[in-house]
Amino acid sequence: MKGFTHFISGIAVASFFPQAVHMASQEQSFILCLGGIFGIMPDTLDFKFAKYFHKSDFEIKPDPNNLDAMVIAETVAKAIRKAEQEGRGTVQLHTMQLGSNLWRSYTLAFDSATSEVVVDIGPEVDTGQVPFEGTELKDPTKAHARVKVESQFFQQFDKKSQIAIMSGPCFEFVKRGEGKIEIVFLPWHRTWSHSFTLGMLIAVLVGLFTFFMVPEGPNPELYSIPRWMLYPLIILFGSMVHIIEDSTGFMGNNLFYPFTKDRTNGLGLMSAAEAIPNFLFVWTSIICILYNLDRFRWAPESTPPGIENPTTFFFWFYAIPLAVMAYFFFKGKKAKGKDKDKGKGKGKPYSSDFDSATSVERETDASVI
Amino acid sequence: MAILETLLNPAYLDLFYFTALGVIFSCAISFLPALHIYNVIGIFLLVILKFEATMAPMQLIALCIGMIVGYSILNTVPATYFGPGDESLSYYILPSAAWVAKGRGFESILLTGVGAIGGIILLAVLAPAFLWFMPGLKSITSPHMFWILGSVISYMILSEWPKGVSQSENCWENFLEGWKFLGIGIATFLLSGLLGFIVMAKTLVPIEFAFQSITPVFVGLFAIPWLITNIINIGQIPKQHDPESIELDWGLVCRGTFGGFLGGFFAAYVPIVTAGVGGLMAGHATAQRDGRLFVMSYGTCKTVYYVGSFLLFFIPGLSLTRGGLAWIVTPVVSVLTLKEYALFVALMLFAAGMAYLMLAPFTRMCIWIVEKIAYFWVSVIALLIVIPAVFVFTSWGGLAIMTVATGIGLLPVMFQARRMNLMGVLLLPVCINMAGYGNDVMRFLGLI
Repeated sequence: MKGFTHFISGIAVASFFPQAVHMASQEQSFILCLGGIFGIMPDTLDFKFAKYFHKSDFEIKPDPNNLDAMVIAETVAKAIRKAEQEGRGTVQLHTMQLGSNLWRSYTLAFDSATSEVVVDIGPEVDTGQVPFEGTELKDPTKAHARVKVESQFFQQFDKKSQIAIMSGPCFEFVKRGEGKIEIVFLPWHRTWSHSFTLGMLIAVLVGLFTFFMVPEGPNPELYSIPRWMLYPLIILFGSMVHIIEDSTGFMGNNLFYPFTKDRTNGLGLMSAAEAIPNFLFVWTSIICILYNLDRFRWAPESTPPGIENPTTFFFWFYAIPLAVMAYFFFKGKKAKGKDKDKGKGKGKPYSSDFDSATSVERETDASVI
Repeated sequence: MAILETLLNPAYLDLFYFTALGVIFSCAISFLPALHIYNVIGIFLLVILKFEATMAPMQLIALCIGMIVGYSILNTVPATYFGPGDESLSYYILPSAAWVAKGRGFESILLTGVGAIGGIILLAVLAPAFLWFMPGLKSITSPHMFWILGSVISYMILSEWPKGVSQSENCWENFLEGWKFLGIGIATFLLSGLLGFIVMAKTLVPIEFAFQSITPVFVGLFAIPWLITNIINIGQIPKQHDPESIELDWGLVCRGTFGGFLGGFFAAYVPIVTAGVGGLMAGHATAQRDGRLFVMSYGTCKTVYYVGSFLLFFIPGLSLTRGGLAWIVTPVVSVLTLKEYALFVALMLFAAGMAYLMLAPFTRMCIWIVEKIAYFWVSVIALLIVIPAVFVFTSWGGLAIMTVATGIGLLPVMFQARRMNLMGVLLLPVCINMAGYGNDVMRFLGLI
């Protein structure tokens, strides 16, 4: 899901605590922002920290002056062979920057039918990934390579990965049952940072701090949760909502790291960067926030409500938009299905699925991956 | 029926005249390089207000409607070719520069025009609904504005991702390379926020020019760094293609307009939030990816932001003063009824139609200028107009503030961080003041 979706969902979760809403309106507290900050935190940890400290067994830094697809394919195959022997192998692919706005592209694919690693050197592209015509390699033996490996492999995203701009992707190869090799895209992503364990740990640490530091606020008799406990709960639920939202996509999370070693698959209900599912979560969050801010307003007996009739409110502002979103979502799915069938018939590639390795590398909002 | 009678009354024809005049003025205003609309309108109205005795309040408002609608649609043109005047424009300007570099600047401007018209139509369609739900929305959100701004700030900072391409064996080297961009973004936000506190507490601008105290800040943060970059970097822009048609479909129009409207409405409703910030958030909320979609949705966002914030002021009984123009006209408006609101919507539609018709010729004129005069000289001339203009309106104190602001404004340009972080100049002090901690911060900074 988009970073914004996680962020606003975190705020929405925080708004379900009446005391937090009262603290915001009566004591000028920023506590509701805490939900948003921890809503986006798992991706912040991955893309601003974990990414940099992940060590790969093999690194591919293609030489732009001596391009050879075979060298790249062989190195990827070495990582697969390492996994065959030792259980795991990782490879980091780097991009080739030729100028401030000029890059040489190449693609990596795994042909599971023939157990081959397939590499193609592509044209030069600008940072917007617009290719420059005539910059393709002339020598086909250098431009294309296929390297066969012993084991069969499988992956969640059966797509080509384009390595072109900024930083390149990382793959992990893991030996599974029957000697099959699983291809894991971005092995450092959605692991410890996207676990219930980390959320719980941070909540416990914050809870210890707030237990000693946060005094009871005014009118404690109004609330069932003591004030010190609000902070860890908002942090825990804020990060949990991120993990739940991510689980609706394809990649999944590693929920109980370090007790579980690998990411589980997501539910595959929607792609992380699809517009309508993202907006559905955003809109649901906005509606929840507004409803909660109104029903938990301070002194409800003397302050008129902003939402006079909740049924009317939910009908006009939630049921109707939901119906419209559902209509366009299923219409889009149907059209996509038709495109897919057409593509199959003519040997064209499928239309891009946003959660795939191919498109995520072009994504400006990293949290969508 | 009453609304129709009002609209068809020949006595109101003068309002259309003043609206048309406003659109024509907006052409000239938007042509002034790199200046913020509200400052220019402020000066402009000072001149106009001399005629206040002969102008009815609604005539003045019609003039303002023409100016703001016209500006919101036409300012894309000089911003694309000569440089952005504020943050709302600089959000769009980098993608638009890429279109200009490919000779497709005209096309990008027309796309923003389509988006703007979509935004105006949506505003008009939703105008009756605003009467129904805006009071409720205001009552719910009023006590919470400060943390909403706090959330905007948090998201702005957290949603900037590392850009480093270091491929070192050393993890820390890669980490520092990636964090260089993030660090500059955060530093830019904090420094501009600090500047905001200083300017708000102890401005160097002489008291008689107090209404222009923010001008040197905006010129320094947004306009001058852009012009300097142009002078240093750009040679001649490529020949601009004058398209006979643009590639669009209804799906794209609807998605662009919808996303842009959300961002523009958020920016119009939440104080201090600009179209750039609103557009970023709406773009992420609606998962925009297509380049054309971005450009068009930006057109909607910017127009809804400028015009919507003025429209909100006219909702009877709401007293929602958002945006500089609403504050500027407050002294001349005594009572607002449904009639004024309906007239506003009618005049807004009229002005939008007129401005849209002027968009293509205005663009051709700007292209003609940049094709005749080297882009370098266009930027030099713009710089030579801006700096004396700041001096005239804000004296030496203003120039000093502008110089400091320029230093901060150059940070994101040099390190490729988000220019949006420069909005810290308003977001940070206003958010902290709204939360009631302003005095503590100012005391800590030794400003009071």
